Amino acid sequence: MAALVLGLPEARRNEAAAVFRARGVPHRRVEEWKYSDLKSALGDAGVGAAVAQGLVGNLPSGVEMFDLAQDNPPDWVRENFAAATSNAMSSASLALSKGGVAFRVPKGAQITDLLKVDFTGPGHVRGLLVLEDGASLTLVEGVGIADFRNVGFEIVLGEGASLDHVRLSPDGGEAVLVEEAAVHVAARATYRAHFAGFGSKLSRMELEIALEGEGAQAHLSGVAVLDGKRHSDVTTHVIHRLGNTTSTQLFKHVAGGGGRAVYQGKVTVAKGANGSDSNQSAKALLLGDGAEADLKPELEIFADDVKCAHGAAVGDLDAESLFYLRARGIPETEARGLLLHAFLEDAVAEISNIDQRELVRTELLTVLRAMA
Amino acid sequence: MLEIKNLHVAVGGKEILKGLSLSIGAGEVHAIMGPNGSGKSTLSYVLAGRAGYDITQGSILYNGEDLAALAPEARAAKGVFLAMQYPVEIPGVTTMTFLKTALNSQRRARGESDIDAVGVLKLVRAKAKTLNVSEEMLKRALNVGFSGGEKKRLEILQMAIFEPKLAILDETDSGLDIDALKLVAEGVNALRDPSRAMLVITHYQRLLDYIVPDRIHVLAKGRIVAEGGKELALELEAKGYEHIVKEPA
Repeated sequence: MAALVLGLPEARRNEAAAVFRARGVPHRRVEEWKYSDLKSALGDAGVGAAVAQGLVGNLPSGVEMFDLAQDNPPDWVRENFAAATSNAMSSASLALSKGGVAFRVPKGAQITDLLKVDFTGPGHVRGLLVLEDGASLTLVEGVGIADFRNVGFEIVLGEGASLDHVRLSPDGGEAVLVEEAAVHVAARATYRAHFAGFGSKLSRMELEIALEGEGAQAHLSGVAVLDGKRHSDVTTHVIHRLGNTTSTQLFKHVAGGGGRAVYQGKVTVAKGANGSDSNQSAKALLLGDGAEADLKPELEIFADDVKCAHGAAVGDLDAESLFYLRARGIPETEARGLLLHAFLEDAVAEISNIDQRELVRTELLTVLRAMA
Repeated sequence: MLEIKNLHVAVGGKEILKGLSLSIGAGEVHAIMGPNGSGKSTLSYVLAGRAGYDITQGSILYNGEDLAALAPEARAAKGVFLAMQYPVEIPGVTTMTFLKTALNSQRRARGESDIDAVGVLKLVRAKAKTLNVSEEMLKRALNVGFSGGEKKRLEILQMAIFEPKLAILDETDSGLDIDALKLVAEGVNALRDPSRAMLVITHYQRLLDYIVPDRIHVLAKGRIVAEGGKELALELEAKGYEHIVKEPA
């Protein structure tokens, strides 16, 4: 089966390779990569051609899985996998990866067990998740540490489907980790995502979400806590293609030492997508002169009668709050930790799954205590 | 208990307190009255240890110890409590979590053992009832969305829980209607104790109708300009600050 790799016809693969060749490895002079210079982070090693893996930690019953390295993909993979993209790194993973994982939740299936998937090893890998009409699922994505990994993820939500996507990235040290997720949300379907991360040499989660049917919703939230020289970049593009669609975004970052937090969020309301509602908020706390936050919310509106709000703020811990806590006997370090935790709390509270929410809270407390 | 001698305090290089002296013994309630800008809040902040309030001259002895040398949290652990004029709102920290953390921090600093969550809850509930602090308030984020009266009641609740030796009440009456004022004053009076000293800072005589002080000091332009018994408050009310401030101290 030389003609099919990754279930992809040779032509599609060549097409992706051509896009990646034309665009090259993104660097800081490419506008969307201004704050995340991938080329210089990778250095001479480049993107390589290694093949990373998607490991399934828990496959709930009712969820169908397909190994993308296998021949003869089923129809649901053929129909949804490898949609055309102009994204450089997503094209790179299509061109270079030789495997990955695909999942399908059949029509109407309400899956209560968590689907756990960990992406591990260096190189390129693909993921596909299809929720058919009315299906619901919670996906917990783990991020393993590797010198370099590039994940290309496609998520397709049918009408009325509901996905909770929780992504947890531990402190990745010197790792360079990028991921591009393309999410299609049909009418009345809901995509909720929460990204909690501690950064690495370069970490980037890029999301492109298309709200493609009336009543489609996307709710994104995330926290990043960055110490040392850690970097974390969340770049989102939400496209309201049709009217009466809703999107919210709430991102909170804490950067200490030489940490760098990046949020770029673009919301596009397409022509005719009247009655769309979008709200974006990104805030960062900087603990020291070496830390940096680059917050860039952006709106592009081509429709009428829309409600769009966005805001961004960078600050330091509130001196008055700190004094209040200390004056009541709470030692300075503990008071700072408490305030940092409080700063992140409304974003953490967005995680619907209670166990995952508690897990994130615990991890944050440990790291914040050390940073405070 | 508290011995302030010739205290000079500068804020941002500007001298606000200019040689203030004051002495309060255990079991006494003293009031500091004064017009706006006289240095009342500066005095309360410098006693609690807020950053940016620099002592340029003079001394503050608390039970014989140099108070200025202690961090705010150490002062709290040793029994100094400041009920603030503007309690801060802290979203993301529930009132109950805050109370538990603060109480156990103070206890730990004194070498006492922690009180567990159930124990703290019991203690807080018992005291909250008398101050009309609802269960629902305790579950909310600290001071967030509280009315002026609720904030002040929570300050007094904290005073009741922490059982300080020296309590400083900074304009606790500001923004309160008469019913709220009475409730807060009752809370304060319940905490009057032979082992506890209180310093009540206020602009108006009104509060002193309900919390009757043993001694009143009038602060103007950074100095005590008049002192007397509780009747001094009435005189101030009748004649205004101008009259007293102009007289030679």
